Amino acid sequence: MEESRKIMLKVDGLRAYYKTRSGERIRAVDNISFNLMEGEILGIAGESGCGKSTLAMAMSGLFLPPLTYESGSVFLDGENIIGKKEEELRKKILGRKYSYIPQSAMNALNPTLKIKNFVIDLLKEHDPRMSKKKVLDLTTERFESLSLPPWVIDLYPLELSGGMKQRVVIAVSTLMNPKVVVADEPTSALDVTSQKIVIKLIKELFDEGIVKSVIFITHELPILRHVCDRIAVMYAGEFVEIGETEGIIFNPIHPYSQALMQSILVPEVGIKGKKLPSLPGSPPDLRKPIKGCRFADRCYLAIEDCRKRTIGMVEFDSRKVRCIRVDHIKAKEEVVPHVQQ
Amino acid sequence: METLKLLFKSPKFIAGLGIFVFLFLTAFIYPAVVDKNPFEMVGLMYEAPSSRYILGTDNFGRDVFVELIHGMKTSLIIGLFAGVIATAIGVTIGLFAGYKGGTVDNILNSITNIFLVIPPFVILILITVSLRSRSLAVMGLVLGITSWPWTARAVRAQSMSLRGREHVDIARLNGASVVEIIIREIMPYILSYIFMAFVLQVASGILNEAGISMLGLGPSNVVSLGTMLSWALLFESVRSGAWWAFVPPAITIALITFSLYFMNTGMDEIFNPRLRS
Amino acid sequence: MRKFTRYILQKFSWYLLAFFLALFLNFLLPRLVPGDPISVLVSQMMSGAVTSEAQERVYQSFIQEFGLDKPFFVQFFTYVGNVFKGNLGTSFSLYPLSVNKIMADALPWTLFLQFPAIIVGWIVGNLLGAFAAYRKGNFDRILFPVALFINSVPYYCLAIILLYVFGVYLRWFPIGGGYSRTLLPSWSWPFIVDVLHHYFLPFISIVLVTIGGQAIGMREMAIYELNTDYVTYCKMLGMGDRKIQSYVFRNAMLPQITGLAISLGTMVGGSLITEIVFGYPGIGSTLFNGIRRLDYPLIQGSTLIIALTVLAANFIIDIVYGLIDPRIKAAQVEGS
Repeated sequence: MEESRKIMLKVDGLRAYYKTRSGERIRAVDNISFNLMEGEILGIAGESGCGKSTLAMAMSGLFLPPLTYESGSVFLDGENIIGKKEEELRKKILGRKYSYIPQSAMNALNPTLKIKNFVIDLLKEHDPRMSKKKVLDLTTERFESLSLPPWVIDLYPLELSGGMKQRVVIAVSTLMNPKVVVADEPTSALDVTSQKIVIKLIKELFDEGIVKSVIFITHELPILRHVCDRIAVMYAGEFVEIGETEGIIFNPIHPYSQALMQSILVPEVGIKGKKLPSLPGSPPDLRKPIKGCRFADRCYLAIEDCRKRTIGMVEFDSRKVRCIRVDHIKAKEEVVPHVQQ
Repeated sequence: METLKLLFKSPKFIAGLGIFVFLFLTAFIYPAVVDKNPFEMVGLMYEAPSSRYILGTDNFGRDVFVELIHGMKTSLIIGLFAGVIATAIGVTIGLFAGYKGGTVDNILNSITNIFLVIPPFVILILITVSLRSRSLAVMGLVLGITSWPWTARAVRAQSMSLRGREHVDIARLNGASVVEIIIREIMPYILSYIFMAFVLQVASGILNEAGISMLGLGPSNVVSLGTMLSWALLFESVRSGAWWAFVPPAITIALITFSLYFMNTGMDEIFNPRLRS
Repeated sequence: MRKFTRYILQKFSWYLLAFFLALFLNFLLPRLVPGDPISVLVSQMMSGAVTSEAQERVYQSFIQEFGLDKPFFVQFFTYVGNVFKGNLGTSFSLYPLSVNKIMADALPWTLFLQFPAIIVGWIVGNLLGAFAAYRKGNFDRILFPVALFINSVPYYCLAIILLYVFGVYLRWFPIGGGYSRTLLPSWSWPFIVDVLHHYFLPFISIVLVTIGGQAIGMREMAIYELNTDYVTYCKMLGMGDRKIQSYVFRNAMLPQITGLAISLGTMVGGSLITEIVFGYPGIGSTLFNGIRRLDYPLIQGSTLIIALTVLAANFIIDIVYGLIDPRIKAAQVEGS
């Protein structure tokens, strides 16, 4: 990583939890720290329920109940957006600097509004002086440059196919040229052809410099491998490993990353929404405070020390791993059979 | 068992159940303990409440309090009976329509829809007008067979959503019959839903009994909350200021339905998590 | 647009079918009354007043009118034929007044009372329900049980209590009727004021109960809509609360329109009893009188008019709904 590049997004010790009706706290995002450079695409991988989607929401600085902020900061282009007034966040940050592509584009668009009326409403919310005509010109122009047929704006969301809807959502999310875009499993509900188109679309936006940096939350190997510069692996609300793409995919160090990558690489086993087949047990209950390594109960390498204290990130080369058994793993590297490339 | 525990955490459900059980027990225990005939004329017309008759007397000089308790019992019996009938018909039709799909669904759903748009009130009037004598059972039956379409419609939607589930497929592959699948694989999953529908049907049975009684088509030879109101209205109790003749039955009806609605809301919040706000 | 025409036609044939069923029930059920109701009635209503010859004449005219001496299915066709000719028969109790005439006098009062009351109650109820869903907190905590309680109070109970408190006890409003007996109906100010004075209590009691039911339904719909993905998406794109609320309101409102269609029958039924409580000169009171005097032609005429009005209102609501909700439009496209 060239350190001379500008840091676009700096997340520092971010913690957020869900408040349940009975007053319990589910700590879905726990002490997350990372930097996203300008011109970088970061992939975040992990099982369903590990807190990836929550992280995407929390990074926006907008905490929609029951999600609640606990601690930490998020610097977007040098500016801490945590603790900003909701009004300012809405007007200046959301959609303009930080944008979000939701998981299920299926229901992300208001079903009773034509695309063009939604776009008009949205842009006028950000800039009331903008004329309808200008909004529509901008939108059709953007749609055309993304090879989306311009007549689409006259349709209702229900009249669009799934793939088309996702493309429209991507175009709408990036209409105001946001610096950072977080795409939350944008392809999970699509067929293979649509998936390719969607990935191409986001790549295009990135290559043309319309968006500066992208975070992809995904399970899909093609996105991770061909699109992302770095990958972070998330488990039970924490990052357990972060590093450059090739290394994480083909040479994961953290035992959880190993299991995850194995299941991603062997497609027929598949992990979409299901528990990892190769791992015993299930992720820990995030309602209770956990001492030590969160993965220890499912880890084949766990020793007593793992459960004694909070495990920090160990850094070496360009990799960070949350494991105290790193040396052991590295020493046995040749012995532990990894996935064949 | 888990569900029951959850239910008892809902203050709305507890409050509703509490009121209902209290009214129910009063209606059934009081007549069994105190042997008073609600039809007995004990006083003059519209005597105001006093220590002797705590709710005064009605137009025939009958003790309103005794009438009220007996009327409550009648209304509860009719309501429960109507609720059972309506739920049984609605659930059967809804389950079959939803599970079978295709032509069976088309036919059953068409019938349901037609009975939904023809005002049930009209059918109720036409049937009751044609009956010479209207016993408790007949009233319950008639009220039940005019109000099932609601339940059928709701249950159909639920049953349809279950049709494609894995365990249903497995049962089908194992050669279970349609009736077996519906009873073993579908019904258990919507039991809570059926119970909620039943609670609402009981409430609507009690309301409709009162409504039809106001038209003079209530049950014959018994006191019900509806017939009390009907007499009160017919004999000008409102205009002569005898509030004790109509306020007690009106409030009792409202209280019974309120308790049932409240139970239903409590259950809804537990069973439909989307409403947890 | 051709698809929409098809949608209308489909709905129309549907309602036509429902109407025929209503017609059939209307024909069939009163005929199941054991014995010969006509002879019983004719002797009852005319006893002592006229000679047996006159009784016989009236009896024969009823037999003729209903074709009671003909086979069952001929009777049905006679009945349907009469209904389609707009002939609802002759009243027993108000002989020789035709049911048509009685209905023509009563229906305007009922429409004048119920239509505005249900619409106003529906609109206010929806606004309150949506408001409770957005505001949550105390407003919701207070409004919701109150709405639920009002919704549990049957129409007629609320009507009786309002009548007692405001009519009898406080004497703010007249205690019944559509207008004062001392005035002659005319388009004069005193008469209009008098009619409105009589109108207020029945109107408000229907409005209040409608508000209760609608507010509850709307609150649920709005809470559901507030938790949908598009709301989250709009928020994440920095859209203001006000705009999002307008989306939610609109989307929650649309199913409430079908909700209105479905519950219209029950509402009308309840409102008819409200008429009886206030002695309001509409279909409800007519029906009540018909039932008390076992005036079958009048009962049948009333129930038929009620069924027809409700079906027509439902049909109109369906069409309006199809026009304004793109979700229905899209379903038509998918279905074709």
